[in-house]
Amino acid sequence: MFQNNREGLFLALPAAVFTGLLFLLPVGFLLAEAFKVEGSWSLQGYIDFALKPLNQTVFLRTLKLGFFVALLSAIIGYLCAFCIINLNDKSRGRVFGLVILPLMISPVARTYAWIVILGRTGIVNDALIGMGLLDTPIRILFTETAVFIGLLQLFLPLMIISLVSAMENLPKDVIAAARVLGANWFQVFTKVILPLTKDGLVMGGTLVFTGCLTAYITPAILGGSKVLMLETLLYQRVNVANDFISAGIIATILIVMSFSANQLLKRIASARQ
Amino acid sequence: MKKLLGAVSMLCLMTTGALAADKTLTISVYSFGMDAMAEAVFTPFEAVCGCDVVIETGNSVERMAKIEANAAKPIIDVAVMSAHDALSLSRKNLLHTMDFSKISSHADLYDSAKDPLGNQSAVGYGYYATSIVYRSDLVTINSWADLLSDDLKGRVALPNITGTQGPLTLKMLSEALGHEGAGFEETIDAIGDSADDIVTFYNRSSELAQLMLQEEVIAAPVGRFAWSRFSGADLPFKWADPKEGQTGGMNVMLMTKDSGNEELAYQFIDYWLSEEVQTRVANSKLDSPANSKVVVSDEVAEALTYGADLINSLHMLSPATIIDNRDAWVDRWNEKVVN
Amino acid sequence: MNSKLASRSIIVITLLFLIGPFGIIILAGLSAGDFMTFPPDGISLKWYAKVFEVKSFRASFALSMFLAIGGTIAALLLGIPAAYAISRYKIPFAETIKTIVAAPIIVPGIIVGLALLRYLVVPLNFTVTIALFLAHTALVLPYAVRVVSSSLNNLRSDMEEAAVLLGCSRVGAFIRVVLPNIRSGVLAAFILGFVTSFNQVPVSLFLSGPGVRTLPIDMLSYMEMTYDPSVAALSALLAFLSVAIVFIAEKFLGFSRYV
Repeated sequence: MFQNNREGLFLALPAAVFTGLLFLLPVGFLLAEAFKVEGSWSLQGYIDFALKPLNQTVFLRTLKLGFFVALLSAIIGYLCAFCIINLNDKSRGRVFGLVILPLMISPVARTYAWIVILGRTGIVNDALIGMGLLDTPIRILFTETAVFIGLLQLFLPLMIISLVSAMENLPKDVIAAARVLGANWFQVFTKVILPLTKDGLVMGGTLVFTGCLTAYITPAILGGSKVLMLETLLYQRVNVANDFISAGIIATILIVMSFSANQLLKRIASARQ
Repeated sequence: MKKLLGAVSMLCLMTTGALAADKTLTISVYSFGMDAMAEAVFTPFEAVCGCDVVIETGNSVERMAKIEANAAKPIIDVAVMSAHDALSLSRKNLLHTMDFSKISSHADLYDSAKDPLGNQSAVGYGYYATSIVYRSDLVTINSWADLLSDDLKGRVALPNITGTQGPLTLKMLSEALGHEGAGFEETIDAIGDSADDIVTFYNRSSELAQLMLQEEVIAAPVGRFAWSRFSGADLPFKWADPKEGQTGGMNVMLMTKDSGNEELAYQFIDYWLSEEVQTRVANSKLDSPANSKVVVSDEVAEALTYGADLINSLHMLSPATIIDNRDAWVDRWNEKVVN
Repeated sequence: MNSKLASRSIIVITLLFLIGPFGIIILAGLSAGDFMTFPPDGISLKWYAKVFEVKSFRASFALSMFLAIGGTIAALLLGIPAAYAISRYKIPFAETIKTIVAAPIIVPGIIVGLALLRYLVVPLNFTVTIALFLAHTALVLPYAVRVVSSSLNNLRSDMEEAAVLLGCSRVGAFIRVVLPNIRSGVLAAFILGFVTSFNQVPVSLFLSGPGVRTLPIDMLSYMEMTYDPSVAALSALLAFLSVAIVFIAEKFLGFSRYV
């Protein structure tokens, strides 16, 4: 640690001033606009927003999709992470590379494929009919299921990465030790793995949940105007109705949701001990 | 910090490149058929005027939002959009009042294109009919009411209320279902009752085309301008002739207020409306002509919305009706249909 | 070994779910037909060829490259000193500074674009390109600070203290001792920033002007015209570009350690 604090401040300030002035300030202005109705400060904008049934539906849908995508990716993530850390070094690196590969590819491309895959004549329907599970194709596109699948594919890698890094720090023999001492797999997971990887879970959960809230392309292409989420609703309000009040409100809701999800997960994680 | 900003803006200037000609016209157009449109209109115009044409594309709501955002210092000189979008800009006092005497072919336009907003702030350049495209091997469509029939359950798409085709569909559905009034309340409620049986409310004709080609959707209302997406496909698509008739709309050209580039703007509008250019555009099957002197072959006419008889038969919605009622439609739609 | 088989299948199924769709994109782009299908309608390279014929893709590719490279360099110029200060000095308001710099991660991108359009571009006459540049820099900055910080934390600070004691200036110590040792961290931050910026959609949604449009936005707008397989072809080409960059980085730097 160097003692010259002024020098340190001088080094750190440009970044903070840059983000503060050119990024947060304009965003702050926009959020503040939602508290102004016809020139005076008021909460009327929020009240009107909350009373519209569509806004309630979209809010709950966004919350629900974010929650379940995060939950399912945590389940798959633990399974995968557990399998990955048990691989030898070489194949571990390779699999890990393949997991992060989708993160490097444009979300436009990532979502685009699902239109073909999930269609009536797409491979999912063909496979289900081929296996005799269905008589006639089911409609998946433009349903919450389609958006759910798209979001899961988009954000699962973030969860796996977080959990793998957390599990790498697990002492090698704790699981074996717990097994020897007579713990079943469920107990091993809840008593040993979970407490020791909670930081990774908090990190991954926050990333996935926040990602789902702020994703635009996936709900826009796979959900369309029938399955609006907060982000697509925001875009529609601005573009169709020039409604900056709703835009500011939705933005505030999204930021508050991301932040509280993070805090909540941290709280839950620390309460477990 | 300042130095950095300075360096950055230098860099930006360099990447944007200095413009070659000293005269520049910035136009805002539909992205539809851009390359062909450039070939038929924009590039030859550059040769005529000795200027650069800069093109801004996007969907009309985005383009309108930008015209409004930049009202104090217009970036766009000329824009083409639907008549009702033009009216909403006009009501916000963002449009230049035109002097039609500066447009030499103005007298040749169909009457409804001469002054569509009634205040000299726009001029029509093209029409389109809107009807239902359907798979003739799977269904038959005789009426707009068939859109909500049992045969189409789970296989029909409707245009979204926020686009141009949405309100037109509401109008024809209302006529077919016998509902009156410009509020379309009962019609919206009826769509809401069948919402689960409607695949999606599409926003773009390209999106609809993909869905119909992959057989997700077998019938949907669509503008004639998109007909070529279907007529050229291998699947048996048909253009319906419903007993209630077809609806349709008009696209207009407008000039932004105080763009400072009026002279070039007039020259451009005049050029686009001329018999020569309107014929060229029609023959490329891009837009249906508003200039009544344009004569095209039967084959071209089939692809377009061509001729006084057809144009006069369209059940259009007046721009004012759309603008005055749209908020109410969207509110009810949001409550009953997509909720 | 049943459990080995089970663990293999879990990995394979997950990877199939994550990566399978790209296989489909790549193949759909090879279709000889006029719209997206899988399996493709015959094989042809015409859609891949068409990507190079669309004029606007060239301009938007250039803009996206400029933003990704320029924005990431700017973010590193701001971020490396900040990361150094945070890990080596006891500065006042350290937590506040960290929070401010990290904030762009949780602000929805669409809001950022809208805010910059309304409060920088319109009233202050910033061009759209500058606004995009600022936004992309701010977006990449948190990653730059995080990755560089973590590689600084792995570097023992007594090395530069020793250098200073031996008569090196503080700046000299940074350049001669610290920088060479965090080089791979900086490069990892650069690649992460490049990919983040290059694929960014929501921020750029509202920030476009005549002839100024990032590649992902241009692709979306191209999709408004047509869903033909050239969009799939372009997506596949971009995917190859990103993968190539990451592959090279991984090969030489062990990049995934930093993500």
